Amino acid sequence: MKILICIKQVPDMESKFKINGEGNWYDRTDLAWRMNEYDEYAVEQAVRLKEQVGDADLTVLCIGPDQVKETMKKALAMGCDRGVQIGDNDAHKREPIEIAAMIAGFAKDKNFDIIFTGMQSQDRGSAQVGVMVAEMLAIPAVTTIVGFSFDNGAVKVKRELEGGSKALVSTTTPVLLTCQLGLNTPRYPTLPNIMKAKKKELLTLAPDTGGVCASQETAAFYFPERKGSGIVLEGDVSDLADKLIQLLKEKTGVLA
Amino acid sequence: MNFELTEEQNLIRDMVRSFAEAEVAPSARSRDEEEVFDRALMYDRLGELGLTGIVFPEEYGGAGADYISYAIAVEELSRVCGSTGVTLSAHLSLCANPIYMFGTEAQKQKFLVPLAKGEKLGAFGLTEPSAGSDAGGTKTTATKDGNDWILNGSKIFITNAGEAEIYVVLARSDKSAEKHRGISAYIVEKGTPGFSFGKKEAKMGIRSSPTMELVFENCRIPGDNLLGQEGQGFKVAMKTLDGGRIGIAAQALGIAQGALDAAIAYTKEREQFNKAIATFQGVQFQLADMATQVEAARLLIYNAAYRASAGLSYSQESAMAKLFASETAMRVTTQSVQLHGGYGYTREFPVERMMRDAKITEIYEGTSEIQRVVIGAALTK
Repeated sequence: MKILICIKQVPDMESKFKINGEGNWYDRTDLAWRMNEYDEYAVEQAVRLKEQVGDADLTVLCIGPDQVKETMKKALAMGCDRGVQIGDNDAHKREPIEIAAMIAGFAKDKNFDIIFTGMQSQDRGSAQVGVMVAEMLAIPAVTTIVGFSFDNGAVKVKRELEGGSKALVSTTTPVLLTCQLGLNTPRYPTLPNIMKAKKKELLTLAPDTGGVCASQETAAFYFPERKGSGIVLEGDVSDLADKLIQLLKEKTGVLA
Repeated sequence: MNFELTEEQNLIRDMVRSFAEAEVAPSARSRDEEEVFDRALMYDRLGELGLTGIVFPEEYGGAGADYISYAIAVEELSRVCGSTGVTLSAHLSLCANPIYMFGTEAQKQKFLVPLAKGEKLGAFGLTEPSAGSDAGGTKTTATKDGNDWILNGSKIFITNAGEAEIYVVLARSDKSAEKHRGISAYIVEKGTPGFSFGKKEAKMGIRSSPTMELVFENCRIPGDNLLGQEGQGFKVAMKTLDGGRIGIAAQALGIAQGALDAAIAYTKEREQFNKAIATFQGVQFQLADMATQVEAARLLIYNAAYRASAGLSYSQESAMAKLFASETAMRVTTQSVQLHGGYGYTREFPVERMMRDAKITEIYEGTSEIQRVVIGAALTK
């Protein structure tokens, strides 16, 4: 069984973000980097599947500059077998279709049975790359999965839908799955496995979008303006309730 | 020369920090207050993560990592819980490491492998009521009887005692020999007849780490449990403590870093005179001094750890690292309590625990005074 896991390196979301010089993205200097949270669920699920079936080969793919190798090492330490970095210093500027084209270009003749990836990245958050890859490879995609089982070639997943409802979906392979919070709890890479990851294959390929060109451009990147301070009501509890009802009627649609 | 950590060292820090914050930190306060050693959390989990044998080769159940990785692991555990940090340090540096350095192949297979894998916990018995800094004053005796040795005497202030399955113990095997030459090292297993535990110490800090007395009453151990050569015990002890100092220095560094992090977070939140107190230059100067000392301690420790892994001499460097890191821990935790004001003196905030935990790092595994003796002797020899 051949499995591909697509991961992205993103800034630690606790970082203090600054806007870059061009004003169209965040400044990448002085940030701490980690694996996109949703991709960690993807790696964990792939490793669990390998533990279940025994005979599986896990390739982890990441696009970006050399610094992404550290995040890839974490995926290798968690249990992936080999890594493929598409070395691209401009990856952060690329739009989802270019990223998807690079992944699909790599995967198209490799016959992966299952492709796992996060449902979106924590920084750009387009949630487009996974489904575009599936489309380009002409395989089904099931998004936002929070449950997964594999039995005798049949994949069964639980999807999270709006409003807390869920759906159970059965599919055959090959399939691409995008992983959502709640799917699993990613393991800590153990220390011996961190050391062994050093010896695993990590191939670097040149970026190739196969002729797909960008058609979107991020015009501006900015922080929302600070809103004015709220209204503080003071007085007796009974008066306060009346004032609150009045305000809700006047300023919101909560009360008619 | 390169001061950057390797990818592996960064991954190890990330892993241990995530584990420490998610699993160790939540119970640090209650374990301290109740003086509870939670073995499943503070040792078994470390074994599952491969931390109990970090520096030993894979063939002995270790991870084959370096001493900087070890220092990072102890630092990150101690950043949230000094007791968990010392559990690992005492186990690895003081028990597993002398068996790795001085043990026969059979001893390594029998004792080091389960220690490194985290299946058994280790401890070290050197200190006695009348032999602390003066290790040559050891009064516990080892008498040869056929192929066996018979131990009599007691050891005090032993970290991990009672919980540990394997003990490296120093005893006087030759009463007629010169003070330092008549001592040998032995491996003693918990459950050996004649080996029991005395009182559990009620301590100021590291209260979730068990500290007990070891009592030997005609305790018969096989000749195969002699560690190193007969009469070589003082050397075993000194080499063991060289490595141990890196562990305790890292523990002190972690405690200091935890107290610094707490001080920065608190002073940015706490408002007085309508401003966060971190905006006052007087507060910033204090934070700057604390951070500078913590960073200096870290570099001293990494240097000693680098030398240990590279096979260079590191006795003086580890003494300097331990001396500076432990005194830094005491200063930084005390200052952090001060910056927290009245809240810092309450047990609602973790800094009072950190201040209590810091004090022992200036005392055990060689007091600050003994570190100065080691450094001074090396400078003037």
